[in-house]
Amino acid sequence: MQALKCLALAAALVGGAAAAQAAVQPLRLCADPANLPFSSNAPDAVDKGAPGLYVEIGRAVAEALGRPMETVWSLSYFGKRNLRTTLLAGQCDFAVGLPAVPDFMGPRMIFTRPILKLGYAMVVPKGRAATRIDDLKGKRVAVQFASPPQSLLAMRSDVTSVTTMDPEEAMRRLAAGEVDAAFIWGPSAGYINHTALRDEFNVISVDAPQMQWEAAIGLSGKQPALRDEVDAVLGGLAPRIRALSVKYAVAMDAPPAVSGAAPVRVEANEAGTTPVARAAGTGDAAEGKEIFNGTCGHCHGPDAVVADRKINLRLLKHRYGEQMDEMFFTTVTNGRPAKGMPPWKDVFKQQDFVNILAYLNTVQDK
Amino acid sequence: MVHRQVTLFRAAATALVAGTLAHAAFADDGMAKADDPNAWPMYSRGYDNTRFSPLKQINTGNVGNLKLAYSFQLGSLRSNESSPIVIGDTLYVSSSWGPKYVYAVDARTGARKWTYEPEIPEDVLQYACCDVNSRGVTFAGGKIFVGRLDGKLSAVDAATGKELWTTTVVDYKQGSVITSPPLVVKNMVITGFGGGEYGARGSLQAYDVNTGKEVWKTWTVPGPGEANSDTWKGDSWQHGGAVLWLVGSYDPKTNTVLWGTSNPGPWNSAVRSTGDGNYGKLSNLYSSSTVAFDADTGKIKWWVQATPEDAWDYDGVNELVLADLTISGKKTPVYMKADRNGFFYVVNRETGKIVSAEKYVPTTWASKIDVASGKPVEDPDKRPGPNHPIKGACPNLIGGKNWQPMSFNPETGLVYIPSNNLCMDWSVSEVNYRKGVFYLGGDFPPQPGPGGYMGELMAWDPVAQKKVWGVTTDLPFNGGTLTTAGGLTFWGDLHGMFHAYDARTGKELWKVGLGSGIGAGPITYSVDGKQYVAIVVGRTASIPAFLGNVGKKMTEASPEGGALFVFTE
Repeated sequence: MQALKCLALAAALVGGAAAAQAAVQPLRLCADPANLPFSSNAPDAVDKGAPGLYVEIGRAVAEALGRPMETVWSLSYFGKRNLRTTLLAGQCDFAVGLPAVPDFMGPRMIFTRPILKLGYAMVVPKGRAATRIDDLKGKRVAVQFASPPQSLLAMRSDVTSVTTMDPEEAMRRLAAGEVDAAFIWGPSAGYINHTALRDEFNVISVDAPQMQWEAAIGLSGKQPALRDEVDAVLGGLAPRIRALSVKYAVAMDAPPAVSGAAPVRVEANEAGTTPVARAAGTGDAAEGKEIFNGTCGHCHGPDAVVADRKINLRLLKHRYGEQMDEMFFTTVTNGRPAKGMPPWKDVFKQQDFVNILAYLNTVQDK
Repeated sequence: MVHRQVTLFRAAATALVAGTLAHAAFADDGMAKADDPNAWPMYSRGYDNTRFSPLKQINTGNVGNLKLAYSFQLGSLRSNESSPIVIGDTLYVSSSWGPKYVYAVDARTGARKWTYEPEIPEDVLQYACCDVNSRGVTFAGGKIFVGRLDGKLSAVDAATGKELWTTTVVDYKQGSVITSPPLVVKNMVITGFGGGEYGARGSLQAYDVNTGKEVWKTWTVPGPGEANSDTWKGDSWQHGGAVLWLVGSYDPKTNTVLWGTSNPGPWNSAVRSTGDGNYGKLSNLYSSSTVAFDADTGKIKWWVQATPEDAWDYDGVNELVLADLTISGKKTPVYMKADRNGFFYVVNRETGKIVSAEKYVPTTWASKIDVASGKPVEDPDKRPGPNHPIKGACPNLIGGKNWQPMSFNPETGLVYIPSNNLCMDWSVSEVNYRKGVFYLGGDFPPQPGPGGYMGELMAWDPVAQKKVWGVTTDLPFNGGTLTTAGGLTFWGDLHGMFHAYDARTGKELWKVGLGSGIGAGPITYSVDGKQYVAIVVGRTASIPAFLGNVGKKMTEASPEGGALFVFTE
């Protein structure tokens, strides 16, 4: 059984290499693994058919070009720095949803035609007439730290700003009645409103300087031909992109569709109830241990005991905390080819992965 | 071969004995003493942060003969900013990335005694605004203390490298990392953290050296009910910045801890003040300031705010160098600070009264500091605000001097400052790093200041407030300095060249290329009657990303690196 798996892996690797030479190169999308509604590689998001707006747009583009798509995941807390080390370093081919302004990162980056309009929005309870910033007079309004709405409201003495660190906090405080309105990043507001707050609020885009942008697909300045190819198919994809932005409720002033979009975590303590955690909880650790020691243990050590700390899986919890499960699934699915870890998605079934994770959970260092 | 083994064994045995003795000597009162002339027991040698060593075996007459004693690879590339410390015959040095490693080595040979490898989460680079640096570790009572990028503080057994305790100072996922060595005073290890731009509220925190339990915590942005909370508009105090991410000083005579605070947040001053410089009460205390804390309680005694309602990112963190200067014939206890805002402050460290504050680099945002009130006399055209973009504000946001440490030589009476000469245009377009949201902040491309050079090592007379000599260089953000009783000043540059100068005249006496840009400050020490000079190299990678074409030159000047070099005669 174990020998069989090794053989199957070898065959997959050889066959894969041969096939890759014959087939077209995959189009590589740069995306953040934890940034819904835009992109996510969390198993629950993927299972529900809602890996994020940008991932789905990326797929549509790749499909239209007749190429398979691969996703290169990297966290985007610092947006430009992340693009510098991924897209501009040749790690991936395109990034969806960048501001289509030429001075964004200079000539190093080029853009397709705009595909979306994104910006800041006012969020108010349904039934309250509010269409302009002036309608916020006398109100307590949640804004994000260091955002254009915060700067805008700072110039007015008739609105009380309540500073929050992210859209989730702003929407949570709005839902709790601590503020009367929120003035935050529209796509995030729409998505949270739809997936976590039963569309109790109206999300109204605000048209003012520094508030609305056209978003496009960004590519390295060295890829003008690819840009032109993408541009050529974007026109035909417009209806699909429109439908996707409705699916993810990021289209402001538009009725959100019923969809499989994954619920966003608004309460921090909901972590234990996410589908991933449940799935891991149902894994068979004994079965997982057998698979682990038969295959993974060749590199990661029998019973996950190994001298090299970089590959010591007993440190997963310590390293990744709540993200351990996501990191596990990403890594076993896609591998880390540069570091010697192959992708295992064609070798094991999803239930095998769940069992391995269940086993690893039993051996984490405290 | 056999002979060699015997020699090695002997050396090891000697090291062991010496190590034990040194350990015992320091265990007495738990403190590393700067009065051992041979040691370099803390980041800047002493509580006074002078980076002055009384050693003079290496001097102006023989520095030209310096040769490599050993080099030691730190095993971690880029942004190596560590000042090693030397206790007895052991040198302790940290690497970048967490630190990824802390090493104890034989200070004579570089032979490794132990390695400490803290478990640093992989995502930490996400939250480190200004690179993955560690500026070193602190010794006291047989323990090594290390601040970490993941917001933790660890104590390690200095003899074995075994971790004794780890405590969480701050949540790094709020964008707050620890990059500088803590300050140990009595039974407390004191540290701040970074993140002034990212919504942090600054605080200084003291922990018990033996247990890691918190002793006191003092907010540097007062909340409602606390004194000076009325210097903040609305709820802006909650995320007001004023973090303490560089090193502190300590004056045992008055039991005072002195520490510089960062810029306030967010960058748009209209959010936290008036936005136009007519700040009145809304000066955003205690941001961009020097703050004096009672060491036992953490209570704030006094403060000097260099840049009220900061709008230029004139972070006030630069180190305070303590000395007793003769001013108008009177011995005066002062701290000296080469502020990022372009003014060199000499302040009475017992009263907090400014003695003098003069421009040490080309500075346009203010014409002078009014010494009586402490307030800058601003040029309104150079203050950025909402709908008020500015051109030609000098210094630029990295400041007349950045974190790289200066040194003070009591024998020459001069301060050796690694200074920058840059100016900037700035329009307020708020930067927002939260993912998902477009990041549209500018790159703040700098321009060289008057004269065209971008960096200068300068010897500054703090009493006369004037430059005595200077060495200009094409790039900014060069290394820290060391000065000695041998009449020398050492300094490394961003090209990776390490220089020795005559401290009185600025004449270059020796230099050597070390292969990667230098940011760290050099140190010197003596073991077995032999003096050594040590420097860590490994250039920055993140800072140039803020600086457009200048940044490109900075990274092209040398490859990434990470190594300790030690020289002797």
